[in-house]
This record gives sequence, structure tokens and C-alpha cells, in this order.
Amino acid sequence: MGRWSWNKMLRIQNLKKHFGGVRAVDGCSFEVKKGEITALIGPNGSGKTTIFNLISGILKADFGEVFLNKQKITNKKIYHISNLGVSRLFQQARLFNNLTVRENLLLASNQEDTKFWKNLFFKNKIKKYKIDDLKRISKLVGIDGFQNKLARNLSYGQKRLVGIARAILNYPKVLMLDEPVAGVNPLLRKRIAKILLQLKKQGETIFLIEHDMNFTLGIADRVIVVDEGKIIAEGTPKQIKHNPKVLEAYLGE
Amino acid sequence: MSVVLQLLINSLIAGAIYALVASGFSLIYATSKFIHFAHGATIAFSAYFLYFFFSMVGLNFGFSVILAIIFAALLGFLMNIIVFKQLRKRKASGIILLIASFALMILLESLILLFFGADVKTIGYIKVVKGLEFLGAIITPLQIFIIISSFILLCLLFLFMKKTKMGKAMRAVSDNKDVAEIVGISSERIYNWAFIIGSAIAGIAGILISLEQNLSPTMGTGLMIKGFTGAIIGGIGSVPGAILGSFLLGLAENFGIWFLPSGYKDAIAFVLLFLFLLFRPNGILGIKKKGDKQ
Amino acid sequence: MIEAYFIHLLILIGIYIILAISLQLTLGFTGLLNLGHIAFFAIGAYTAALLTLNGTPFIIALLLAGVFAMLSGFLLSLLTKKLKGDYLALATIAFTFVVYAIALNWTKLTRGPLGLPGIPKPSFFGISFSSNFSFLILTLIIVLITYLIIKKITISPFGKVLEAIRDDELATKVLGKNTFKMKGYALAISAFFAGLAGSLYAHYITFIDPSSFTLLQLIPILIIVIVGGLASLRGTIIATIVLILLPEVLRFIGIPSTILGPMRQIIYALILLLILIYKPKGFYGKVELE
Repeated sequence: MGRWSWNKMLRIQNLKKHFGGVRAVDGCSFEVKKGEITALIGPNGSGKTTIFNLISGILKADFGEVFLNKQKITNKKIYHISNLGVSRLFQQARLFNNLTVRENLLLASNQEDTKFWKNLFFKNKIKKYKIDDLKRISKLVGIDGFQNKLARNLSYGQKRLVGIARAILNYPKVLMLDEPVAGVNPLLRKRIAKILLQLKKQGETIFLIEHDMNFTLGIADRVIVVDEGKIIAEGTPKQIKHNPKVLEAYLGE
Repeated sequence: MSVVLQLLINSLIAGAIYALVASGFSLIYATSKFIHFAHGATIAFSAYFLYFFFSMVGLNFGFSVILAIIFAALLGFLMNIIVFKQLRKRKASGIILLIASFALMILLESLILLFFGADVKTIGYIKVVKGLEFLGAIITPLQIFIIISSFILLCLLFLFMKKTKMGKAMRAVSDNKDVAEIVGISSERIYNWAFIIGSAIAGIAGILISLEQNLSPTMGTGLMIKGFTGAIIGGIGSVPGAILGSFLLGLAENFGIWFLPSGYKDAIAFVLLFLFLLFRPNGILGIKKKGDKQ
Repeated sequence: MIEAYFIHLLILIGIYIILAISLQLTLGFTGLLNLGHIAFFAIGAYTAALLTLNGTPFIIALLLAGVFAMLSGFLLSLLTKKLKGDYLALATIAFTFVVYAIALNWTKLTRGPLGLPGIPKPSFFGISFSSNFSFLILTLIIVLITYLIIKKITISPFGKVLEAIRDDELATKVLGKNTFKMKGYALAISAFFAGLAGSLYAHYITFIDPSSFTLLQLIPILIIVIVGGLASLRGTIIATIVLILLPEVLRFIGIPSTILGPMRQIIYALILLLILIYKPKGFYGKVELE
């Protein structure tokens, strides 16, 4: 696999997962470099979301290892992996419907606030810097206008934005986005692309799954292509665009 | 040796009754996908219907039995149409249906209490006969009748599920409602029939018990719990599983009180229920629910 | 005469408020289908009764009742760790049965069906609370404490995590929260207060037996929580008062006791069914039952 260099944020090594007879992920190995936007693409059912779930700890890997910045995180508990710096956005925004936007965001911040005994005995005021962070990121993403709305009353686009804001609030080491612009109108898509590029400028590592080729090839630094659980190609967007294996995988589906 | 035989016979009798309760209940769960607590009330109602028609109104016994079974089936059907269907229309989850069924159980038992009073009643049809001796164990003709009729009924149910069009349709809805609807099976119709048949079987169970023991307004609840435990042990959602589990429960109870004081009989069922729910919720034969995600 | 009757009703309302608010914490705020609440009530009642019958001062018995109930809450959360939805509800119901069976059969400890009579009226530092009025004051104090603590929990960040768990547990985990631990806390606190309620009950009626602790006793509490509205403490309190007082109106129109009992159950059951079908959020509820 080569020597460790300091710029690998995520390293996936020979990851395998099967469901019954189906080999959803069949020996995948790749790296996500720090400060880059890496895209994971592939036809439907190729195993992309499964890979994401394996990394976040939602599924248990049958074989293989996942490293976060040199630390092994394979099969650790979901919340543990999250606290180590892996932030995950789902395909469906998965907001807390009965809480306001602001409450949704506050839940993303660090765990000290929610310690049970602290809450029971002390008046728990949210620290100022957290509120500042929240304001800043809400402004960046563009959701500062409806902080007190219940999540269930938001539009589809608004929900996605809140989801993104929630995912980036905790200064994650790597931001994993599962189809961030699925079903989103072109204007919003542009805005999200801008947000992601802005985050990258701030040093964030982004790993995303996306079906929208234009979007992906427009902002990604590196593209990994997966088909039927295996990696079939890796490279810059330009290289991938003209890779015959990739075209075959997509056209053949 | 004769003790063991007696215990086996007792297990068989208990298991037979539990199996009747469990199979009807399982049929409803397999199709409608929720825990129908009020099934116990159907049992009690059937027994009280019999009491009403036979002991109060004075109708012919056989006729009363048939009426009681029909009314029990009708009761189940009405519960489905009036309550559960409305809830399903509003996309109610299994939990809501469970709670609604709970409420129905309370409602129905209280109605029995209201109309018949809390005192214990008997249906004086079967005269108390000395039991027959069989290799050192005792069994009464009524008990033999219970075992035999249960077996016949369960076999009929089994054949029904396996061979008839309706039975197959029920299994289809149980496996995958959406696909079943695509091939033209009306799930609402299936639910209705599941309730009718399941409640009719419960009704028969109620009648058999009322002949063997006394009637009280809460007689259904205890039996429902036992039948339900049997269904869980054997595998909820599977009618053969429910039957198997019920007989196993009968065995566990009766052999259990060989070692423990007899008051612990119910406790055995409760503990088994709890343990299975914790460690093997799919029972011995049960169908797996969804995938194995966290 | 009338006064004594009202005091009795108020004490009952107080005990039910404690039970309903504590159930609300798990059901309405955390989304935990804990239908085993009566088991905690029972454990609290028996613990307190056994202690005071053996000379323990009331206040210690009260606290220990809460603690024991709380520990069983932890135990239950451990045991049901992997269960969801229906199965969780069933396992908690089965837990109620098991506790009932223990109360019924462990005759050495609980005297089984004979129950524990002659539970002494509470007294603190020599002041006896034997009159019903003073017991009412005691009850109200405990109701207040319960309300304040649970209210504080629900508006705190910890409370928000509980609500997040209710809305989407996986998303909550992915945000870095140890949801299992949090659910455990919620269940334990809920059980603690149910235990306190049990202790109050035991010392008020001065006699307890297993029949007061069956699944049936859960119905009024469940109805209160659902009708009042999930995740609304205000709704819970109002619903308790209305639902306890409502059947008493029947008593005034002269309906005999034997009919009153089942009539009350019938009314409760009908209200529950109607709410489930037509107003699933209850009256003040934030959330629908899921």
C-alpha cells in the first residue's frame, strides 16, 4: 500500500462487506487526501453508500480496515467515529423534524453540553464561541433567515442546507456527503458547490458521493469510480471522463 | 412414570388450548403486522356469548355454540373495520395499532364486567365425570375432546394456509404486502378474513375453556398472554411456529411446576416470554424482520 | 365529608401526575416505548413499604424506593438494548408481568396475594403526616420536585438530545452522541420518579398487593400521556386532572359503584381510541405517536 504520508486523511484498505450472497463491497482500497475534494462515483447499486456506511460505523465490515489520519477506526461505534472527526451527511437530510433549525444545529456541536449530570445541576448556558460558530456557518450556508422554524416545515432545499450546516459545524476532519445535490434546483446546486469550494479553501477534507456528473467533475480534485463493489478507476476528473472502463460501467447498467 | 405421563397429558391439553389462541393471533399478526391484544377479549366474549345463549336464553347447546363462534368472528371483523382500518388509513404504525388494540381489550372486558358482573359463572353442560385412567394418568372425556378438536382445527388451518387460494393470498400479504397488491390481492380483504378466521378460532378456544373451567371477565387476558408467549417462542408471524411454541410452553409450564410451587405456573410463561423477547425475538421458527442494520 | 373526598382526589391526581410526567419523559421526549412503567411503580411501592414496615424512616424509604426503581430502569435499558419498536414495547410489557409474578410468588418477601397491610403513615423528624391533608401537602411537594426536575431536563441540551433520539436515533449517533447511554439515563430517571410515586401510593393506601400493579394500571397513565399530548408537560398535567375528575362526575349523577368501575374503564378506552383515530397528537402534543 505504500508509505504513509501526512496528507492522507482517510485510508481504506481491502474493505469487504457481503449481504447474504451479494458482495456489496468486494475488496476496496483507496485514500482520501487531506484538503482535497474526493468524489466517489459509480452506477446505482455499485456499493458507494455501503462504503460510506462502513466508514461511519453504521455497518460492520466483514474484512478490511479503515484509518482516519493514521488511527484505525474500523468497526468502532458510530458515535465514537463521529467524535474522532468523521462527519456524515445522508442522502435524505435526516434532520430532527420536531426541533427547530437552531436546535438541530446546536446538537451538532461538541458533547460537553449534553452531559447529563451537568444539565441536571447547573444552569447550562451555551458557550459564546459556539453561538458565534453557529451564526457564522448559518450565514455561510445561507440558513440564518429561518433559525426558529421547525425542521419539518422546511422546504427540500432548505433541509439540505441545514443538513450541510449541521455536518460542518463541528470542524470535522473529514466531511462525508452522500449525494449533497440530489434533486436540488440548479441555483441551489451552484450555491452548494460554492460552499464546498469555500470549505476546501479553509482546509476541509471533503469526500462525496454524487450522481450529478457535471457537479462532481466540476469541483472534485480526485475521482474514484466503483462498480459492483470494486474500484475500477481512479484519477483526476479529466482522466475519469475519458476512461473507457468508466463509460462501460455506466452505459452497461 | 405415570407422573411424567400425567404431566405430558396436562401439557398436551394446555398446549392445545394455547395453540388455538396462538394460531389465530399469529394469523392476524402475520397479515396485519401488529399485536392484537384484544384477541383475548374475543376469547372471553365467545365464552360469554355461549353462556348468554345457552344458560340465559336457553337455546339448544349446539346451536348456541355455533352462534357464539359466529359472533366471535363477527366481533373480530368489526374491530378491524371500525378501528384498525381507520387507523391504517391514517398511516398508523404497528405501535399505534397495538395501543388501540389494548384499548379495545379494556373496553370489551369492561363491557363484560358491566353486563355480566364480576362473579364467576359456569356453563353447566358437561357434567363432572370421573376421569378415565390411562397407564396411571387421568384424563377426562372433555379433555380428550379438547385435544382432538384442537388437532383437527389446527390441521384444517394448516391445510387452509397451504392449499386454498385464500390461504396462499394470506401468506403472500404476510410476506410482502406491496407485491401482493400488485398481483391483484386486496390486502384489506385479507385483513378482514384474517380477523374473521382468527377470531373464530379464538372463539372455539373460548368455548372449549368455558366448558372445562369457569368464566370470568378477565379470562381472555391470561390466555391471550399464554397464546402470545407460545407465538413468540415458536416464531411470531408463523402459524406453525405459534402452534409449536404453544405446545412447548405447555410442556415448560407443566414440567416446570413439578419442581416449583404451582403458583409459579404463570411466572414461567412470563419469564419465558421476557427471555425470548430479549434473546431470540424471532422465536424458533420465526421470520426475520428486515435487515441486520444497527 | 366533601372536603375529605376532594383531598383524596387531589392526592390521586398528584400521584398520577408523577407517573404520567415520568412516562412522558421516555415516551414523549425520548420516543422510548416503555410500557413497563408500572413495574417501576411496583418496585418503588414494595421497596418503600418493606422498609418502613421494618422501621426505616420514611424519607430514607422514599429515596431508596426511587433508587431501586431507578436501578431496575437501568437494568431494563441494558436488557432491551437491541430491541426496537414492537419488540421493545412487548419486552417492557413482559417486564411488568415478570415483576408482577415475583410480587405474587416471592411470598417470603412480599406475602404474595396477601399483600402488605399496615404500612405506617409517613413522618419526618417526628412530625407525622397521618392526616390526609398533610399527606396531600407531602404529595404536592413531591409533585413539584418531580415537575421541576423533569422540566429542567427537557429544556436543557440533554433534553434536546433525547428529542433528537426520538426523531432520528441514527442521525443522533452520527452526530457523536452515545444514544444508548442517554436512553439509559432517560429510563432511569423515569423509573426513579415512578418509584417515588409507588412509595407515596403505598403510604397513602397503607396496603399494597400485587393486583395494584398489573398492566391494567398502565392504561390511565398511557391515556393521560397520549391524550394530553406527547412531549408536552403542560398537556400531561391538564390531562391528568381532567381524566381523573371526569369519571367522578358519574359518581355524582348517582351511578352505583359496581357500574362505576367498568364505566370508568370504558370511558377511558373510548377516549383513547377516539384520540388515536382523530387527534393523534393529543391536545397539547408536539409529536405524533410513532
